[in-house]
Amino acid sequence: MTGLFSEVFLSALLFGAVTAAIPLLLAGLGEQMSEKAGVLNIGIEGMMLAGAYLGFVGAFYSGSLWLGFLTGAAGGMAVALIMALLCVRIGLNQIVIGIALTLGLEGLTALLHHFQFSRSYPRLPAADATVIPLLSDIPVIGPAFFKHHLIVYLAVALVFAMGYLYRRTQLGLNLQAAGDKPAALDVAGIDVIRTRTIAVLSTGALAGLGGAYLANVGAGLFIPFITNGAGFLGIVLAMLARGRPVWVLFGALLFGVCLSLTTAMQVAGINIPTDVIQMLPFLAVMIMLVLFGRRASLPAALGIPYERGAR
Amino acid sequence: MFKILKSSVSAFVLCGVLMGGAFAGEVKSIAILTPEEGTDYGWNQQGIDAAKAAGKAAGVEVVVAQGLGYGDVRPTLRELASDGASLLIAHASGYNTSAPEIAKELKVPVAIVDTPNGLEKGLVADYTLSGHEGAYLAGRLAAKVSRSKSVGIVVSGEPPSWNSQSAAFAQGVKAENPDVKITYAVIGPAAYSDAAGGKRVTESVIASGADIIFGQGNGSSFGMLQAVETTKAADGGKVYFIDVIGDKSPIDKGFLLSSVVWNIEPVYAAMIADLKADTFGTKHYSIGLKDDSVQLLKTAAIPDKVWGEIQALREDIISGKIKVEPVFDAAAVRALMTSVAQ
Repeated sequence: MTGLFSEVFLSALLFGAVTAAIPLLLAGLGEQMSEKAGVLNIGIEGMMLAGAYLGFVGAFYSGSLWLGFLTGAAGGMAVALIMALLCVRIGLNQIVIGIALTLGLEGLTALLHHFQFSRSYPRLPAADATVIPLLSDIPVIGPAFFKHHLIVYLAVALVFAMGYLYRRTQLGLNLQAAGDKPAALDVAGIDVIRTRTIAVLSTGALAGLGGAYLANVGAGLFIPFITNGAGFLGIVLAMLARGRPVWVLFGALLFGVCLSLTTAMQVAGINIPTDVIQMLPFLAVMIMLVLFGRRASLPAALGIPYERGAR
Repeated sequence: MFKILKSSVSAFVLCGVLMGGAFAGEVKSIAILTPEEGTDYGWNQQGIDAAKAAGKAAGVEVVVAQGLGYGDVRPTLRELASDGASLLIAHASGYNTSAPEIAKELKVPVAIVDTPNGLEKGLVADYTLSGHEGAYLAGRLAAKVSRSKSVGIVVSGEPPSWNSQSAAFAQGVKAENPDVKITYAVIGPAAYSDAAGGKRVTESVIASGADIIFGQGNGSSFGMLQAVETTKAADGGKVYFIDVIGDKSPIDKGFLLSSVVWNIEPVYAAMIADLKADTFGTKHYSIGLKDDSVQLLKTAAIPDKVWGEIQALREDIISGKIKVEPVFDAAAVRALMTSVAQ
């Protein structure tokens, strides 16, 4: 059993944990921004699917992963635009529209895949890695954490950029106010609808980018339903994180590590029901919820459409 | 007058009984429901192609409802039943709760999978199929061609059909060479479309030393294939993939070693015959090497000498010299994998 846990194997497990965590991180950061501004974005799974499909199409036809990430983000943003129009501008129910968008995008991307790729199942070459000098030489940890595509490091950097945005900038304060006291923001002369629209569109771009990463790097291909619930996990992470981007990062990594741990336990030949092993990531999230979620406070106006003058 | 009335009533009752029998045996159309598109070179495609072939042979119209996902298909089942389908083939283990419910509600025969105890005469038939004989041959093949003497089994779930193939593959490997390591990993409880998970887990199994991957996974098997294509074995050489149910040769980039290919047409043909004979839901259906409803795919990656040896083993299974018993239970498969893991 111990022979299995070679340096190469352990590195592969941790590398896989990071790869699994990045789409959740991007989706969770997006959802967090949306929720901060008072919009409960249940449609994030659909935005990820749009990003996965268009991201793959962009990368496949152009041969450039970066163009794929761009088209993926644009795809997520396009779906978010519908959400912004229906929920922020018109004020329709955010949960209903979110679910409808997810179901619609599941069908639409499956249909497009059917016509375009279902006979050829094209696959992308392995993503080029950006190797961080010195750090990548550390045994086990180095190859696992410091030999990834550049987008991975940018995603981690985004965590700190968003922390700065929320704490130190006027836009961050506006987003917070749009979720907590939109009327006060309105009185201060800031357009609540515009602020919420910016948040929802940013959410779409981040979710789309997460979907594009999942398809282009995580899987190297697109198939229908490829997100497999990653968007919903992003919502859970955002809720657990209590508005702090760094907690989304910890949660996503924890989930990724637990996924790899389930593989390690199986490879080790531990004879316990696979269902029990597979529960581990979800159990970890639930424990996090119990330990840290008790004091979680969601924005007061979350899920409530803003209408000027309404009481 | 009374005599005429009595004769008329008798004739009417007799006519009703006879007509009823005729209606019970009449099969005008059948419908098949699949969770993913019928273009996956696997479970969904084989099911749809087989239904079409069986329908054509029997002169029965075939309605295909594909890409339905793994959620609630009751509305689709009701719609197809109301359109007049004489048989609803619910081609996913996730449908084996809703389909029997609809069968009882609308009195329309349904065929489900992975529920051998769910038979109900005239209403519910089960076709829990197993390519275990082919998987055993695949195991023998893997053990013969593995350079590292380490092979992996990656599955996206543990339905009975796949359990029996996983177990048979492991038995084949050990029968060929007891020193070959076997690594078994499940992507998730029902990760059938989790291509990223398939790639991630397969990469880990390759990193543990495997240079042959036996993969069972619907959509997620494309992620396994991608991992095989983009990851080097420990010796720097190629990793090969053994697929199940379908034939992925048309999209292979030189990494497909073989596949345990199923032909489900005889099963559906038997179901249509049973419907006509009013024996539907009274027996189990099976596939095997004997009638070529299970075949091991020959690819250019298999040396001729090895293929010859595999064919000899195939004859031994057909003749009964080698017995391969299916193991459907997940716990039994895990126990087996633990016992063979090194």
